[in-house]
Amino acid sequence: MARMKFLCDAERCIECNGCVTACKNEHEVPWGVNRRRVVTLDDGVPGEKSISVACMHCTDAPCAAVCPVDCFYTTDDGIVLHDKDLCIGCGYCFYACPFGAPQFPQKEAFGVRGKMDKCTFCAGGPEEDNSAAEKEKYGGNRIAEGKLPLCAEMCSTKALLAGDGDMVADIYRERITKRGGRPESWGWDTAYKGDS
Amino acid sequence: MKKGRQRASRLLALATGLAVMLLGSTGCTEKTAVTLHEPGVYKGGTDPLLAMQKDPEHIETLKQRFVRGQTDR
Amino acid sequence: MKLIKKRDLTATEAANVTSGVLGSAVDRRAFLRRMGMGLGGTAVAATLPTQMIRRAEASTAAAAGGKAEIRRSVCTHCSVGCGVVAEVENGVWTGQEPDFDSPFNLGGHCAKGASVREHGHGERRLKYPMKLTGGKWTRVSWDQAIEEIGTKVLDIRKRSGPDSVYWLGSAKFSNEQAYLFRKFAGLWGTNNVDHQARICHSTTVAGVANTWGYGAMTNSYNDMHNAKAMFFIGSNAAEAHPVAMQHVLRGKENGAKMIVVDPRFTRTAAHADQFMRIRPGTDVPLIWGMLWHIFENGWEDKEYIRQRVYGMDDVRAEVAKWTPDVVENVCGVPADQVKLAAQTMAEHKPGTIVWCMGGTQHTIGNNNTRAYCALQLALGNVGVSGGGANIFRGHDNVQGATDLGVLSHTLPGYYGLAEGSWKHWARVWDVDWNWLVSRFDTGYVDTSADTEEGQAAVPFANPMNSAGIPVSRWVDGVLEDSRLIDQRDQLKAMFFWGHAPNSQTRGPEMKKALETMELVVVVDPYPTHTAVLPDRQEGMYLLPASTQFETYGSVTASNRSFQWREKVIDPMFESLPDHVIMYKLANKLGFGAELTKNMKVENDEPLVEDILREINRGMWTIGYTGQSPERLKLQTANKHTFNPTTLLAEGGPCDGEYYGLPWPCWGTPEIKHPGTPVLYDTSKSVADGGLNFRARFGVERNGVNLLAEGSYSKGAEIQDGYPEFTADMLKQLGWWDELTADEKAAAEGKNWKTDLSGGIQRVAIKHGCAPFGNAKARCVVWTFPDPVPVHREPLYTSRRDLVDKYPTYDDVKSHYRLPTRYGSIQAKDYSKDYPLIHTSGRLVEYEGGGEESRSNRWLAELQQNMFAEVNPADANNAGIKNGQWIWLESPEGARIKIQAMVTRRVARGVVFTPFHFGGWFEGEDLLDKYPDGAAPYVRGEAANTAFTYGYDSVTQMQETKASLCKISAA
Repeated sequence: MARMKFLCDAERCIECNGCVTACKNEHEVPWGVNRRRVVTLDDGVPGEKSISVACMHCTDAPCAAVCPVDCFYTTDDGIVLHDKDLCIGCGYCFYACPFGAPQFPQKEAFGVRGKMDKCTFCAGGPEEDNSAAEKEKYGGNRIAEGKLPLCAEMCSTKALLAGDGDMVADIYRERITKRGGRPESWGWDTAYKGDS
Repeated sequence: MKKGRQRASRLLALATGLAVMLLGSTGCTEKTAVTLHEPGVYKGGTDPLLAMQKDPEHIETLKQRFVRGQTDR
Repeated sequence: MKLIKKRDLTATEAANVTSGVLGSAVDRRAFLRRMGMGLGGTAVAATLPTQMIRRAEASTAAAAGGKAEIRRSVCTHCSVGCGVVAEVENGVWTGQEPDFDSPFNLGGHCAKGASVREHGHGERRLKYPMKLTGGKWTRVSWDQAIEEIGTKVLDIRKRSGPDSVYWLGSAKFSNEQAYLFRKFAGLWGTNNVDHQARICHSTTVAGVANTWGYGAMTNSYNDMHNAKAMFFIGSNAAEAHPVAMQHVLRGKENGAKMIVVDPRFTRTAAHADQFMRIRPGTDVPLIWGMLWHIFENGWEDKEYIRQRVYGMDDVRAEVAKWTPDVVENVCGVPADQVKLAAQTMAEHKPGTIVWCMGGTQHTIGNNNTRAYCALQLALGNVGVSGGGANIFRGHDNVQGATDLGVLSHTLPGYYGLAEGSWKHWARVWDVDWNWLVSRFDTGYVDTSADTEEGQAAVPFANPMNSAGIPVSRWVDGVLEDSRLIDQRDQLKAMFFWGHAPNSQTRGPEMKKALETMELVVVVDPYPTHTAVLPDRQEGMYLLPASTQFETYGSVTASNRSFQWREKVIDPMFESLPDHVIMYKLANKLGFGAELTKNMKVENDEPLVEDILREINRGMWTIGYTGQSPERLKLQTANKHTFNPTTLLAEGGPCDGEYYGLPWPCWGTPEIKHPGTPVLYDTSKSVADGGLNFRARFGVERNGVNLLAEGSYSKGAEIQDGYPEFTADMLKQLGWWDELTADEKAAAEGKNWKTDLSGGIQRVAIKHGCAPFGNAKARCVVWTFPDPVPVHREPLYTSRRDLVDKYPTYDDVKSHYRLPTRYGSIQAKDYSKDYPLIHTSGRLVEYEGGGEESRSNRWLAELQQNMFAEVNPADANNAGIKNGQWIWLESPEGARIKIQAMVTRRVARGVVFTPFHFGGWFEGEDLLDKYPDGAAPYVRGEAANTAFTYGYDSVTQMQETKASLCKISAA
């Protein structure tokens, strides 16, 4: 069984924000809402490292654990999604999330997006796949089209990988072997602990 | 244990709050049905994607896609 | 459905983890997002629903029976040439997919590339032709605009001559539009035509072409997979060419050592094995400092130098002056660091050098670029895969627009401006020679009536054969005393055709110049800084041009590869493709028929394929001849067959061709030359894309042989150096009869550059020879002010102690038609009042003048404020805190109001500003001067407002990397 994962290879990430923009493009995410963002540590000094962060689709998702209305579900391949019809926008998931993924639009101008919005691994929501309703609430559904998240598919340096966790790990391992050094699969311990 | 207690008390507070709201609102609407809360079970609509994900062909398509797009070629 | 196993986690606990990840980082983005969020959010909210509705409508229509069509284009931002795959439904650009098949980007995009679909919606575009009336923008029809503009410039032409109208073109043109634009200027009768290359890589083109023949990137981004060392100087690829980093980092993973030299610790430096922080403007000392170690230790490639390099001994003599202690004093780089870099380059071969604006934009830019070349020649790194000078060009088609001569000093194909050059193109254009000459001004003007001196006639250089005013100096072309300008009169009218003025320096003078001219015309998809900078009431027009996604044609990437763009959508609003506007205007000006004589014209649109065929017929010098529309289209359909490292098609219909037929693609399309992936690579035969250095500078100098000695491309029948091919040479070699009868007729008396049949090239290549000869590269350019590159301090320098030893040039009376100052500026010490070095550069989210990208809501959100990077020490000295508004003032009196970003990315004493902002002037937001709804989301001070005088001694490149400033709290 495939288990979808994200991995950002910090040795390749150049903080170009291609992923952030690809996400905006694919899902028409409004200004001020960032399903994905690039975080830079030690900006401007030796050791500077950047990582692209979004919902990691955790195995044991803390957001789902704290949701008072139980609007989260996890698909067979590990993608964590939610039903915006149920979401009450309480913000508990934001506090629970170790990655700061849930977003809360401040205005009501975008209809249901006033509720919590987050990365869907380009897999939409519970509505009919790629229906107008799904597009409006969750953006595109690439998984249903047999494609993978656009952020990773458009990554300028192939730093951000998204797909079957084993295949992602294979590519990453190959790079580590080639260039030496210790693997730093950032966020995996937190997101995928106990996952095979 | 401690976490469990905290959670329990929080749920209790939430339930109380909901009860108060419901009681308050019964006064001005005629709705009488009450949804019982079963914590931990997804309550939203069924995603048709879930059925698709069981299709081996779909799984294979995604794998092919990964190889095509995310390897260095 | 999988049920979720719950785990308890308190909100407090979770918040702690969150702050651990996101809370501690203070980066540029977090800093800026905090500053301007509210403003931007409000500005955008109003326009968003329309966007969503359009897409939804298109999708619904598609669902009801329509089908998404795929269109293949190329990103319109930088020169990497990333493939763009567009999904179009009912004429609306509904989706953007990764172009996995492209060997350049393999699907990848930076923020700019990932955002190009937004251009297909473009709420902030210039929508209709506009005219300034009583200080207000009013909508006019195309017919009215063309009629009024045409009448006005014809009137100016009558009074002040053709040279008084300036045609500023663009690196955003397709190849076909660029070519047509240069031809347009020629038929109008002026060399006052230029584009962005003047202010980005003109010193590269001049320096490199004068070293080994062609002034272009020698290898490719992809070829960096093969490098063993990568030396970046003045290049911040991670922000300026992000997708190039895919190849750079692959090279690094393959074991290459990466060295970055820059005044800033850039995002590229963050990935380097070694970083050297130099003082801005000290490139020559650093390179000579490295060569000092290379010569000292005998690390140079002696056999390579003997066979293929002229003048290395002269370099050696200059380098001897740059001992480690002197280099450390001048550059500020520790001596052991310089030695380490030299050793790395010597021990890891092949190594490549990458440079960009950090090296080129200096008064001695041409010295810098030639010093870089000398380093690579000494190491024997040129002409080998994994080596070379990987000069990353800026705009998507700045290479093409340069090649096609949108420049004031040459015709298409670097033919120059000599009579023979014009005659060559007159033959290609099939226009009457005498008519063409009559279009130009004569070389003198009778001023007896209106000058105090009562001179009878003031002679000036023949305008047809003398370089026009460069874009860096158009301001002086307007404001300088007309008697000091080497043409009949000052500039009276100017077309900003895809070119924003905030990329040029000296803001206050520019504003005055824009207010002085009789007519200012902007042709652009956006109003740009031009529309709002001057305080004018009349005499200004804005003409909406389409983007390259609304038309089609070819584009040349930095590595000299052509790509074909398909049209994605129809022109938006009332915009028109540039070549349509050119034709309309040429018709009004009276030379439409001559402009398009060899082209089919339909609905005022010259057929793009026909324009490319005319290009193919004339561009023999650089091999722009083999890339026919048909060959390019075939490659577009078969991108996936090209190897992403070698760029060679393996099988399929393009088998054996290199991707994009990188120039030179010799001869006619029929001989099917595969293109040249690596310039001067003797390990391949010329027919297979091999080459040697070009014989361009004669055969001997002062008795020394300039031709190659014992080095030749694989399979060459002349196994030594040889001069460039001519008809006579073919006869002497006994190869003349291999020409067909038709070829003979065309080739008689001609050479490889002027034989329109391509026969001379075909026969030379058949015998394994390079049509342009086989010579040595030269390290001494005897025609330049500094034949061997030397260091000269910037005009505005903070190191007054070095001025005596490394002074700038004396003032020049006339260079590119204008007096040019050097010594008279450097003579004055400004460093006491303006103690900080001011330098500039790029941000990943924006490009060029930035109007297009700042009008793109996805990009605008990422960088909402103009800012300056200031070192903590300088901030503390000036009493400035992070995020505070400051004034940055130049020694010429300009000032800009921006926000301080306090960071160690810049050294103490250095202030960095990004140059993409515009729409403000000296503290004032010019929002109300834009046409309604056409203002970019993000506006800010133009960095170049506060950049100062200073121009390269060969090309008039502007100095924007080493000036002075002072900062204070606003």
